[in-house]
Amino acid sequence: MATPWRHCWRWTIGSTSTGVLETICGFNGRSATFAASSFRGTGAVAGSGKEGLSSRPVNTTSIGNYILTSRHKSRLLYPTPKPCCCKRIHSDAKLKDPFSLAQKDLNHLYDDIKKELFVSKSELKSLCDYYFDGKGKAFRPMIVVLMARACNIHSNRDGDLLPGQRSIAMISEMIHTASLVHDDVIDGSDKRRGKTTINEVWGERKAILAGDFILSAASMALARIGNNTVVSVLSQVIEDLVRGEFMQLGSKENESERFKHYLEKTFKKTASLIANSCKAVSILVNSDPEVQEIAFQYGRNVGIAFQLVDDVLDFTACASQLGKPSATDLKLGLATGPVLFACQQFPELHAMIMRRFSTTGDVDRAWQYVLESDGVDQTNYLARSYCREAIRQISLLRPSPEQDALIRLTEMVLTRDKKSATIELVGGELTLTGVPKNRLCQATWMQC
Amino acid sequence: MTVIWSRLSCIVLLNRGQRNISLFSNTTPSNWNKVVSDAEKIVGYPTSFMSLRCLLSDELSNVAMHVRKLVGTKHPLLNTARGFVYDSRNNLQMRGLVVLLMSKAAGPGQHKASDVFPQDMVSGIYPSQRNLAEITELIHTAFLVHRGIVNLKEWTNSDGPLKDMQFGNKMAVLSGDFLLANACTGLAQLNNTKVVELISSAIGDLVQGIYHEMPNSLEDKSLTDDINMVTWEEQRFLSHGALLAKSCQAAMELAKHDKDAQGLAYKYGKHLSLGHKLNSDLQPFVKNSSAGPVTFSLNSAPVVFHRQIVGQERWRHQLQQAKTIGTIDYTKLRSTIKLEEGVTSTMDLCRYHGNKALESIQCFPSSEARSALENIASTVTKF
Repeated sequence: MATPWRHCWRWTIGSTSTGVLETICGFNGRSATFAASSFRGTGAVAGSGKEGLSSRPVNTTSIGNYILTSRHKSRLLYPTPKPCCCKRIHSDAKLKDPFSLAQKDLNHLYDDIKKELFVSKSELKSLCDYYFDGKGKAFRPMIVVLMARACNIHSNRDGDLLPGQRSIAMISEMIHTASLVHDDVIDGSDKRRGKTTINEVWGERKAILAGDFILSAASMALARIGNNTVVSVLSQVIEDLVRGEFMQLGSKENESERFKHYLEKTFKKTASLIANSCKAVSILVNSDPEVQEIAFQYGRNVGIAFQLVDDVLDFTACASQLGKPSATDLKLGLATGPVLFACQQFPELHAMIMRRFSTTGDVDRAWQYVLESDGVDQTNYLARSYCREAIRQISLLRPSPEQDALIRLTEMVLTRDKKSATIELVGGELTLTGVPKNRLCQATWMQC
Repeated sequence: MTVIWSRLSCIVLLNRGQRNISLFSNTTPSNWNKVVSDAEKIVGYPTSFMSLRCLLSDELSNVAMHVRKLVGTKHPLLNTARGFVYDSRNNLQMRGLVVLLMSKAAGPGQHKASDVFPQDMVSGIYPSQRNLAEITELIHTAFLVHRGIVNLKEWTNSDGPLKDMQFGNKMAVLSGDFLLANACTGLAQLNNTKVVELISSAIGDLVQGIYHEMPNSLEDKSLTDDINMVTWEEQRFLSHGALLAKSCQAAMELAKHDKDAQGLAYKYGKHLSLGHKLNSDLQPFVKNSSAGPVTFSLNSAPVVFHRQIVGQERWRHQLQQAKTIGTIDYTKLRSTIKLEEGVTSTMDLCRYHGNKALESIQCFPSSEARSALENIASTVTKF
């Protein structure tokens, strides 16, 4: 039985899909060039050129300051659409969206995962299978599959996946899911992907064991690939995930350190899995460290952008029919990108960040400050520059349909929306302070 | 916070001399201590240091700082954390010690073409085998921590504030995950995918075993469960034996010993663990009756044997008779069980496993490491 994991991805980029950066290029060439060069100069966004893996660049405050002081808000706020760089892609009607390109390789993804999770005890089995119900986005496996194909073609082969690359796609989803299961216990969440969480149904003890079991199955599948370097690269992910979670426990007093801390945490919690999975599939086909670095940097930049957008959506997407955004992160005491940017405009936020929004009313007040500030826009802007770097990296490979798909995928990352928000949109009732309506309508990345 | 942990490590150092590690609380401490301290000398490694690198990391110092907030609460993490420092019940780091002894007993690898060289050995043990011993301990400790997660819905107000429990859970999940993650990166550094697969499968076994042992609801399912000794052994192997058995096997693989040697090492680990588990299950039944109140699990080996012997009907009746106002009078129940063959059958089974463990290492050349393994195996069969 082929699990219909994908059901129906509606990819509806309209004419409004032009990126902010591109638009600045069109309208406001000089300041944008300056902006771009200031990123380069501080090494802020990109792992540009030959940067080693260890030097994950993080000096973002300078970006923040720059954006705050020298740009005019009106110019950045989703101006009139003007197609430019994306034209090449969108004008080509033959090109399929990233999902259909990867779909063939992902058809049996969830079935394969369930086979890996073989246990005799039926209840443990159902806990482990719980999130592999085919309703997930399989975002990570999709990137991995596309990257594998792009690397294969770059290495003078046909695109077809090697068995090990297929395993890595599967393992990436397994590691991701195992970490979700544990995160839900840590955060005390009761809902995930529209389902009641494992901890809510079976209790915390069993949830933790299920997460551990999925991880052990992933680790076995990883070992069976039989490549020591690949094992090392993906084990690093597991360590990063935990260290990232630890980083979330503490907050930094100093503002620039705080931003550095935030981006490092974002890399560890989200981007490391994507970056290292991309690197792993490249290792299996190409021994050139430069190619491996390109794969890694693409994944790293897309991963960070993905999380930055996720942090924005926590402020702008709607969790309930009332249209009230969830602000889950604030409630958990976490200061994400929009808050950190807002803090530069409203220093009052500093104290709230330090006490992790624990005093009554903190969450609501912080929420207001963020919406009154440019925090959301600036975070989106930052995400966009990470995506630009991802595009720059992947463009270094030999052209292929998969390479194009990976480029378009960055746009999807920027314009994606939470499913719940999409539902609101379908109802046509969505109005959110601080977020222009067309921003939310640009693209609907949803499941039917 | 570094201060706390350097203080803790001092305690570890101080305690090393007179540390009261007891694999079997019944064995006279002096007897057991001698077995352990002799064994430690043989492997040239103070086993208490094994997870110290991990314990002294920033992450765990962070946890240590937070765990202080739990003092005064009933969260199980507190006891587990105490166990990191001085442990007399949880057989701290015994698994690592056995892996090291096994490595030394088996000696240098046979294959000339392999990438292991005898000159790399320190005290007759390869560095990779020492790392493996540490990984085994990390995994064991991670699950001690994860076993102690509290189900928040079963928590009642009389147990204390829910917030403490939530916080304790958070710390327990994180520190357990941290230990596991370190085990994963440590495994990767061994550069042997067979070993990675083997130890990963042991983690899976451990999860399944622990899962079996969890009560399904507040009213213990085991009362009605028709469990027999065959299932008992299968399940206890998963929860108490698989990690040691597979670690011993992996130690052989790291030295490129052949399949036969790997199989024997696996056997030793398996039978030693089962013998050990049977021995500790026997403790409430062999200890002096006057030594305070007794409790024992209704899933412990003597009880399961007893249930098998008397049959489900009579067992339920006996259980009913031992109950006063809903709670079980364990002293009474113990006397009932002692009237039948359950306890002696458990002893026989324990001796069987101890002997199997002894048997499995006879092929290794005679050495002080082998004698230490033999001592450990025979201690298992003393009650």
